[in-house]
Amino acid sequence: MTDTAIHDLGYRRYEGARDGVRGAWRALFAQGFRAMFGLGRPLRSKAVPAFVLAATMLPCLATLAASSATKGQLPIMYGNLIESQLILFVLFAAAQAPELMSHDQQHRVLPLILTRDVTRDVYASARIMAVLCALLVVSIAPLLLLYIGEIGIAVDPAAAFARMYTKVGPVLLQGTLTAWVIGAIGAAMASMTARRAYATASVIGVFLVAGAVSVGLDDLAGVSADVSGFINPLGSLHTMSLILFGERNRAMDLVAPPPLWLFMLMALVVGALGVGATYWRVRRVRV
Amino acid sequence: MPRPPDIEDDPIALIETQALTRQFGAVTALDGLTVAIEPGITGLVGSNGAGKSTLVKILLGLLEPSGGTARVMGHDVVHDRPAIRGLVGYMPEHDCLPPEMTAAEFVSFMARCSGLPATAARERAAEVLRHVGLFEERYRPMRGYSTGMAQRVKLAQALVHDPRILVLDEPTNGLDPAGRDEMLGLIQRTGREFGISVLVSSHLLGELERVCEHVVLIDAGRLVRAERLGALTGETSTLLVEVDGDVERYGAALAAQGLVVQRDRLRVLVELPSGDDAASSARVRAAHDLVRDVAVATGVGLLRIERRRGHLEDLFAGALP
Repeated sequence: MTDTAIHDLGYRRYEGARDGVRGAWRALFAQGFRAMFGLGRPLRSKAVPAFVLAATMLPCLATLAASSATKGQLPIMYGNLIESQLILFVLFAAAQAPELMSHDQQHRVLPLILTRDVTRDVYASARIMAVLCALLVVSIAPLLLLYIGEIGIAVDPAAAFARMYTKVGPVLLQGTLTAWVIGAIGAAMASMTARRAYATASVIGVFLVAGAVSVGLDDLAGVSADVSGFINPLGSLHTMSLILFGERNRAMDLVAPPPLWLFMLMALVVGALGVGATYWRVRRVRV
Repeated sequence: MPRPPDIEDDPIALIETQALTRQFGAVTALDGLTVAIEPGITGLVGSNGAGKSTLVKILLGLLEPSGGTARVMGHDVVHDRPAIRGLVGYMPEHDCLPPEMTAAEFVSFMARCSGLPATAARERAAEVLRHVGLFEERYRPMRGYSTGMAQRVKLAQALVHDPRILVLDEPTNGLDPAGRDEMLGLIQRTGREFGISVLVSSHLLGELERVCEHVVLIDAGRLVRAERLGALTGETSTLLVEVDGDVERYGAALAAQGLVVQRDRLRVLVELPSGDDAASSARVRAAHDLVRDVAVATGVGLLRIERRRGHLEDLFAGALP
């Protein structure tokens, strides 16, 4: 084209499709899920997701390598690896959940969103689902890596797969409940404030405080370890993983832990409380 | 909820409120406001704290009224929210732009929140951003935008889903005079050429005069006046004559010729006959001739002869604090 001109076509009506609430929910979910990994955000928002993924996956690879080198003599302990990973999942939630839960409040985008095809409940459900799904990806990835790796390095993978068949359930269950507890509490705490830094600190803080209170009740108040242990969500998630994968630690050798169903019930309740708190907050936030 | 029959019979009301009240604790922001707003560009005027933003937020469903009812295109704002969502576009007074997003991303995200499919959202975003005068800048993060650019993006996101009513809360706030003129021009184009009704709030009466067809004036949460502007700010039937010389004698001489005359400092206001027929026009021309001839006869210099125009400030004189 040799000669260019700007043609103002005038305002055109939009006559195309409108997906209504469903389309709006998908947009909020997709944008939120991407924000959890820092996609569509500045470079610094990608740092923590990258670090957490690396820091949880690399030890799994190292364990697999060690097990492979010893021809399976060194057993792969899922529960032990999970213990060190839980705090990294919390870090991920603390750094990334505010990217969507408090970001819209901080920059006052929320009133714009709420005048569109989005009610407060639709907004809350899309954003919580984005946080939960992102945490599910992060928390289940190392377990799946271990699981697939364990089959892969076996001398006879087909036989190993038949033997490992029963481990699929624990892998999925542990990953889902971890995401449910940490994601729901992270989303709830992050939605409470419009200030990003406070949101991050409060997510980490609530898990640290819960751990400290649990220890305090045990040591000082003399509450039984069975009861006080439940106050610490990370401790409970770890103990649950040991039971799920049939592993034991020293404390469990001394006193038998509470039954598995109780841990699962507690995890479900704690996560539900977090989801409920997020809805409660989003319904009340002033715009 | 039963409504008085006279409102039921009025199909053109775009927005109507009945005894609309909103309290924040002990503070009453809206106090039994009853007003009907017609299609077109309507200015919502009041000093800061008069209840403009509260009314806007109730119409948008961001706030619930404490009492009374409000309807937007016949839909109740409390019970019929889903029907209103697609009809209104909202440009808030406050900053609402995430600094790390580009204008193109942001406006298209807002379109998707109104239910537009992804591709359509991107196309509409590009189109409305071009309309408000944002071109290559739309691919830059909004962190570096000037106030004028930010206001344009805010207007674009309000237009992106093709609403029937635009609600603009103080759109000229923080703009320099040139930016204000451009924004008012955009609002005027939106209302006149795009056929979208506009409700624009401002605490500056003067700037609304240019663009609005109707003005609603509220103070302390109550309706002061609601007027159609065209008739009121057009030409009046008063001829303003400014002279150099003995104004007193000139006025008296005009009155002696049978004209209705008022003195206003160094000016003389002459009431002209009104009416559209040929006879009235002839009498208007005759009055003009008299003004000229009497000036010659009394020996004063004519500085200016013009039809007096109505001004909003005159209309609401004393009504604003």
